[in-house]
Amino acid sequence: MNRVDVFKSVLWTLTGLAVATAITRFIFGLGAVSNLSDSTPWGIWKGLNVVPGIALAAGGFVVTAVIYVLKREEFHRYAKVAVLIAFLGYLSAATALVVELGLPWLVWQPVIYWQFHSALFEVSWCVMLYLGVLLLEFLPVPLEETSWFAGLRRFLTKYKLVLVFLGIMISCLHQSSLGTLFLITPEKLHPLWYSALLPIEFLVSAIAVGPLVVILGVLVICYMYRKEADRKTLSKLAYLGFIVTVIYGLIRFIDLGVNGKLPTIFDGSWQSTVFLIEIALMLVIPIVLLGIRKLRYSQAGLAIACFSAVIGLGLDRANIAGVMLQVPGSHYYPTIYEVFVSLGIVAGAIIVFLFCVEHFKIWDVKWKDPRERAEYCPKFGLASDVWLGSPGVTERVKYSLIFVLSFALGFALMPQDRIESKGVEEITVQKARGGDTLFIDGNLDAFGTLFDHARHVDNLGQKESCIRCHHMNVPLDKESGCWECHSSMYTATDIFRHDWHASPNGAAIACDVCHEPPQERQKASAKKCRDCHVDLYADSTADTLDTYLAMSYVDAMHILCVDCHRWLASADTTRAALAQCPTCHTGSQPDYLKADMRGELRRPAPNHVMMPPAVLQVKEE
Amino acid sequence: MSMAILTDITKCIGCFECVAACKKTNGHEADKPYVFHINDGLSAHNWTSIVQRPDKHFVRKQCRHCLDPACASACPVAALHQTSEGIVIYDSHKCIGCRYCMIACPYGIPRYDWDKPVPYVQKCNMCYERVKHGKQPACTAACPTQATIFGERKELIAEAHRRIKENPGKYINKVFGEFEVGGTSVLYISDIDLGFLSYVAIPGTKALPKTTATAMEAVLPTFFGVGAVMGGLHWLVRRRQKLQRENEESEG
Repeated sequence: MNRVDVFKSVLWTLTGLAVATAITRFIFGLGAVSNLSDSTPWGIWKGLNVVPGIALAAGGFVVTAVIYVLKREEFHRYAKVAVLIAFLGYLSAATALVVELGLPWLVWQPVIYWQFHSALFEVSWCVMLYLGVLLLEFLPVPLEETSWFAGLRRFLTKYKLVLVFLGIMISCLHQSSLGTLFLITPEKLHPLWYSALLPIEFLVSAIAVGPLVVILGVLVICYMYRKEADRKTLSKLAYLGFIVTVIYGLIRFIDLGVNGKLPTIFDGSWQSTVFLIEIALMLVIPIVLLGIRKLRYSQAGLAIACFSAVIGLGLDRANIAGVMLQVPGSHYYPTIYEVFVSLGIVAGAIIVFLFCVEHFKIWDVKWKDPRERAEYCPKFGLASDVWLGSPGVTERVKYSLIFVLSFALGFALMPQDRIESKGVEEITVQKARGGDTLFIDGNLDAFGTLFDHARHVDNLGQKESCIRCHHMNVPLDKESGCWECHSSMYTATDIFRHDWHASPNGAAIACDVCHEPPQERQKASAKKCRDCHVDLYADSTADTLDTYLAMSYVDAMHILCVDCHRWLASADTTRAALAQCPTCHTGSQPDYLKADMRGELRRPAPNHVMMPPAVLQVKEE
Repeated sequence: MSMAILTDITKCIGCFECVAACKKTNGHEADKPYVFHINDGLSAHNWTSIVQRPDKHFVRKQCRHCLDPACASACPVAALHQTSEGIVIYDSHKCIGCRYCMIACPYGIPRYDWDKPVPYVQKCNMCYERVKHGKQPACTAACPTQATIFGERKELIAEAHRRIKENPGKYINKVFGEFEVGGTSVLYISDIDLGFLSYVAIPGTKALPKTTATAMEAVLPTFFGVGAVMGGLHWLVRRRQKLQRENEESEG
């Protein structure tokens, strides 16, 4: 395998994982795969893909401006690469947005519902327009390959300057408006990043790093396809980046100085450390490396400077759009699935980029050594090496296979528990403690209720009364505690043990007994529990037994107590009072249990409670 | 006419009647502790909650209905917007799910249906349907101690100042929400500091939409300004190149 093959295999693997995650997200909602929450509504999809993606795509308008507006013809060979990088950058940002938005099929709605005060309205308009402009700018390249649309190609080439101007105007607008987005959060964004000049800082830094992204792209292709880069023009382009980077550094530090924030840079907090890393990557390293002429003209110096600037800008945007925007009480870290999508979208963009490099006349480069051409420079578009050991495996088959395998792997890795629980916290129920007086407090949050078991037994008729509360119907066990089946605080528990029923060491029941032929062997068509266990007692349990699910502990307890007390309502527990927490949860707890409590006394909001509907609709009879 | 709610923390006994009334009125399903909740009781199924503070203080949390709402100014499609009563309401059919409102809100009020494939933003709408028909919101109607009352904003502010004046020492001398972030329609008077309701303890009196207004006003001038500057540069460069060519031709 050559380097192109290895690289592409990795890219296709990441794409497969991302597609699997995206499908899961669309079926089960954002909460199923991401750690996004009410306290962190924007995660890495916005913080790493959308906002930095758009910033890094700024090379398109900067380089075209230099070539077509300022008439610097020596950079003309990078025009197509720059436009392609910009187009794919925006496309990947838009794709990330589609996964990230709650209602992505309505993403076009800013077109009809206008709201001029919103920076995001402006950004979405500009991104939509600029995507179109970039498409038109790039379209002549693939059209070169065919003679079908020669007229369209001529038209687009003729009016290229109009497109370039539109591109510059739209880009300047929304690159700065992306900064405006965060002006509205003065109380959340960390002061080292928040500034009234954010729009200008965003625009200038995008212009500074834009050309460096293009240079990095060129260097990467040269490395991968073993070609030689023209260092002279690249260095000139880098010099432009250098100048704007210096301007950006001045703006940023003067702004920090004027607002008196400079002393906090070295205060040792983790935010200041991140800030220093960001400044080192984004400003110090590129300025030093690009400022020294000798280093600027060396391939290593150029590559390191561009890479550092790109990472630095990405970090800056990620900080502003995510890391430093965190509010107290949020402990957001991305799930592995968010990382899949984030990387997969970038990988997909790179795949398209490589496809265009291989199939279209993106640029002209010199061969490093004409004699090496046969060994190292495979004819683009064909498999150079055999991957599976058998001849005839084409590139297409190979990458399809990789994609499908990683797609399947992605589904296998999806968080089953999380999808099933639908984001409800899993809290295992603890047994009620105490002697004759039980303290019923399933989740140990100290907000349980005291239950006088002995008194209930006495009042309800001694041994005959057990059945009023206990189902007394679990096979082979007549005294199961509630917590054994209702074992989860807020979610239903599956109580049917299939394997035990089928096992020769267990009940040893033949399959046909429950799954009567000719029906398919499925849960839905199988016999119900009570068809065999005729001694199952309580009517109230009949419904749940059909689904083999025991309802959550909270629901079971409330229904059990309230259902009975509803009929026995006395002066101190009127029916209306039964709907209120403090009637039973008085807040008092036995002293001997206090050491066991999970936390301080936390009053559960009634939102956590499902009360029997009959209680909520109080009627006098 | 600007309507408002005034909550007197000293009168609240923490009975949760307002929460129950809110759930019932808006038809919210039973809630469970989700992993994506903040521990303040508000959620997609709970538009108001009671936050417990030390020494038996109960603080009702709900949307503040800012006079100049940051969420409405942030919303790119005007799904969140203000009615003539000063109530900030939500149009679910316009929403695209960008959640910029959640970023913008200084009180962290809007919540999201994280567990649903078709999610919406969820927040208190001050029972707009009831208010429109001359009724008061369900929460204030349910309050047994008159701790939270509904009325015209001006009158409620006057009432708040009257209570503070008539009970010297009982309250902190401040109507929470009178000036914060440009003023809110949900007001509090209290004997404890209510800084915990917002992300910074003492929010400024400047309305947050004003922070972006300057930049947004500059949008169109920037657009044409950049175009003009670039056009001018282009003209200059071309002219210089033309002159250069002519020079070369005349010399050669």
